[in-house]
Amino acid sequence: MTGQRMEAPLQTNEEGRDMAAPLLSIRNLTTSFRNDGQWSPVVRDVSFDIRARETLAVVGESGSGKSVTAMSVLRLLPPASSRIEGRITFDGKDLTALSDEAMRAIRGNDIAMIFQEASLNPVYKIGFQLAEVLVEHRAMSQTEAQAESVRLLDRVRIPSAKNRLDAYPHNLSGGMRQRVAIAMALACQPKLLIADEPTTALDVTIQAQIIELIKTLQQEDGMSVLFITHDMGVVAEVSDRTVVMYRGELVEADTTAEIFSRASHPYTRALLASIPHLGSMRDRDAPLSFPLVDHQTGAVSEPKETVARPNQQAEPLLAVRGLKVRFNIRSGILGGVSGRVHAVEDVSFDVKPGETLSLVGESGCGKSTTARAIMGLAKYEDGGITFNGKPLAGLTGQEQLARKRDVQMVFQDPFASLNPRMTVGQALSEPLAFHTSLSRAGIRARVYELLEGVGLHPDMASRYPHQFSGGQLQRIAIARALALEPKLLIADEAVSALDVSVKAQIVNLMIELQERLGLSYLFISHDMAVVERVSHRVAVMYLGEIVEIGPRQAVFGNPAHPYTRELMSAVPVPDPQRRATETRVPARELRSPIRAPDFQAPKRMMLEVGPGHFAQADSDGIVTQLTSLAETAAQTRQPRLAAE
Amino acid sequence: MLASLLHRVFQAALILVAMTVIVFIGVNVIGNPVDILISPQADQAERARIIAELGLDQPLWRQYLAFVSNALQGDLGTSYIFNQPALEVILQRLPATLELAVFAMLIAILLGIPLGLYAGLRPESPISRTIMAGSILGFSLPTFWVGMLLIMVFAVQLGWLPNGGRGETVTVLGTQWSFLTVNGLTHLFLPALNLALFKTSLILRLTRAGVREVMPQNYIRLARAKGLSNRRIIFVHALKNVLIPVVTVVGLEFGSVIAFSVVTETIFAWPGMGKLIIDSINVLDRPIIVAYLMIIVVLFVVINLVVDVAYTLLDPRVRLDGTKGA
Repeated sequence: MTGQRMEAPLQTNEEGRDMAAPLLSIRNLTTSFRNDGQWSPVVRDVSFDIRARETLAVVGESGSGKSVTAMSVLRLLPPASSRIEGRITFDGKDLTALSDEAMRAIRGNDIAMIFQEASLNPVYKIGFQLAEVLVEHRAMSQTEAQAESVRLLDRVRIPSAKNRLDAYPHNLSGGMRQRVAIAMALACQPKLLIADEPTTALDVTIQAQIIELIKTLQQEDGMSVLFITHDMGVVAEVSDRTVVMYRGELVEADTTAEIFSRASHPYTRALLASIPHLGSMRDRDAPLSFPLVDHQTGAVSEPKETVARPNQQAEPLLAVRGLKVRFNIRSGILGGVSGRVHAVEDVSFDVKPGETLSLVGESGCGKSTTARAIMGLAKYEDGGITFNGKPLAGLTGQEQLARKRDVQMVFQDPFASLNPRMTVGQALSEPLAFHTSLSRAGIRARVYELLEGVGLHPDMASRYPHQFSGGQLQRIAIARALALEPKLLIADEAVSALDVSVKAQIVNLMIELQERLGLSYLFISHDMAVVERVSHRVAVMYLGEIVEIGPRQAVFGNPAHPYTRELMSAVPVPDPQRRATETRVPARELRSPIRAPDFQAPKRMMLEVGPGHFAQADSDGIVTQLTSLAETAAQTRQPRLAAE
Repeated sequence: MLASLLHRVFQAALILVAMTVIVFIGVNVIGNPVDILISPQADQAERARIIAELGLDQPLWRQYLAFVSNALQGDLGTSYIFNQPALEVILQRLPATLELAVFAMLIAILLGIPLGLYAGLRPESPISRTIMAGSILGFSLPTFWVGMLLIMVFAVQLGWLPNGGRGETVTVLGTQWSFLTVNGLTHLFLPALNLALFKTSLILRLTRAGVREVMPQNYIRLARAKGLSNRRIIFVHALKNVLIPVVTVVGLEFGSVIAFSVVTETIFAWPGMGKLIIDSINVLDRPIIVAYLMIIVVLFVVINLVVDVAYTLLDPRVRLDGTKGA
């Protein structure tokens, strides 16, 4: 095992390197924070090396100490409330022993760092922020720095770089901002780049572009990369070696290939088991829960098969027809309408009882606005929403109340959606007290039942939200949504902010609840791999329109619309053997759905490419493309059917 | 930008019209100037003549229309007491108040921002705790009491500074200014300090809160990771973000220090507008009251506009029409 550990990086980098002296060497690093006068260690006894030109991934869930480790290397933690013990050697220098001044000369120069959000200062122009690094470390004049900034922006593939120097961060999209941050990090040709979750806040297509960019630049400059992430798919995509951290300790370190094929620590195995693999559901038509591995013992619980199938012949529980939501943009002295955001444009779909329909798409594609319109939180301009056979538009007050009971919502950030001053028990009993005529004792019994139903202990009812972890809070949010026995649950990115293993647990809970209570879900997510796991049917949204909708198996197995295919190819594959070699996604900015006030949305045609599987055909080229696809689909279906 | 500026001017005009109505009705409610202006010995014919001369025999709406049409020609009425155009009387006093206000604000900014920065960067240090405790005194001690205390200590007991008045003045551009002579400056110092005390505490606390909010931000962490010096991180990257809310408050406080420095001006016998308005209210000199309020309204509108423009310069995300950038 140790032998392989030494060999693998040799194979990936043929160029001669001094194997004896790693570029960065961390030995017995313990970082502690002071809380109320008490020192508590956040990172304990961590040791690892990074060699020249190597990419090392540090993975772990939130609170595992991976970011703190990186911050300790650069000594970015506040000196008053943090303490670093152990030895950190970089390029022959002991970083823990350097003076502040000498450390400053290394930051941004020999070791550069990029963060999750690009973290640019909102009140300064891009050019100013780029130039100051060059002036600081490379002693350039302002004019030289200006010219060099343009060159750097060119290197990170920012179109019309020269004009962007005068842009402010808010003028750029998230992906472009991250490119600027990378340009800034590369300004002094650092030997080591520390990337702390650089793609976590980005859409999958943009994430794929940024990862590709970092890999290319690494090859061009020959630098080492310390890549911090919680996403095993990203790890498989980028790293030579991987370090797994759990609760402040390093639990496993090996080559990435070894980690993925022969992980020895139970936690690593648990982490790997909970990663959704895109394409793993190819042969199933129903949702499947995740296998769970116990973090301590490594015992694997096999996923439970779902047996209930939604009846496709049943009347739809929710029917959306030609839904249009637009927001006016006003400007000028009289506040006239100068443009319109076509947030949702002619969207139609059904949700059957007991079915999960997923809405997928990048940020800004209108999926959340659709959910808000169904909840009655956003005004829609045109079209109709029918729930349980009754159109929403003409409901009486009583019927509206009933509809509110029947449709509930779970949001992305559970902490923000629970009142911090209310105990969990109060939060859960509030809807019960308002909507039902239960007695006090009855409400309490129901609250306990709800907590148990989502796998929590009834004692927890007296606690406040800040006393729970993110996963527990999301369980509580689900329990609250279930309090009134709704028929439809809208989950708006409900698992997106959670750690992988917690995400798997919550997804399993949702699948189990659907089986038990016959719930319907409208599952909104940008995470294709999770969507593949939970849905019966999938609708892909782009710029406010549904471009493809159909049974999950058909949409994932046989994507017809070019955008759907682009979205799928951007999902990182959690398998280091199947690493993509070239750019899979063309560098493209998310287009904007803002239109002139008199813009008439073109009439779209949906083409049936398979049974119940429709794709948008908006131009002649795509129509022919789709037609041929439909034909091949029909042909390939025939022999398969014959074989069965 | 230009469109929104025009929009603001239009708004300001509406505010002015509304203010004239309110002020006109207001001053009519507080008392009849005839009772004070005309000596009790005057006979009935004399009374009627003066009332007619002042236009006070007309119904209120006629008086108002006459005032508006005169005001549009730049005439805000003639003071009953000084027998001079009201505007002229006020403008004579304006420089005194203006230089007092500017000096007070300067002291407040020059003390408040550095102290606030220090207290925000080192919240635990004993000096910061002292600064913060001191700022509470600045808030809570009444101005008149502090003013009298200052006179007691510096003018009466120590004898270092004069106890009131404007001192020597120099005439520049047809108006008199104190701050150009040493003697004038010594007269200016105590009242300005008195006015600045509250403002300093306010700016100090705002700056400190801003620093505490800005320093943990990610862009500050990035600036550190870029290897910039502490000086540059604080004075370039943090300060501009900290100043955004401070600018708003400084603007508004500047307006209020001009309009409501009445107490301090009275205590230090400073011949500014504050003292004038108090005297005019006592003798019901309507034209002065009305003109004064009009000038204050214009002043506030202008200051707000300047603040808004300064805001857009500091924070590129804010545009003048009030919407946030994408």
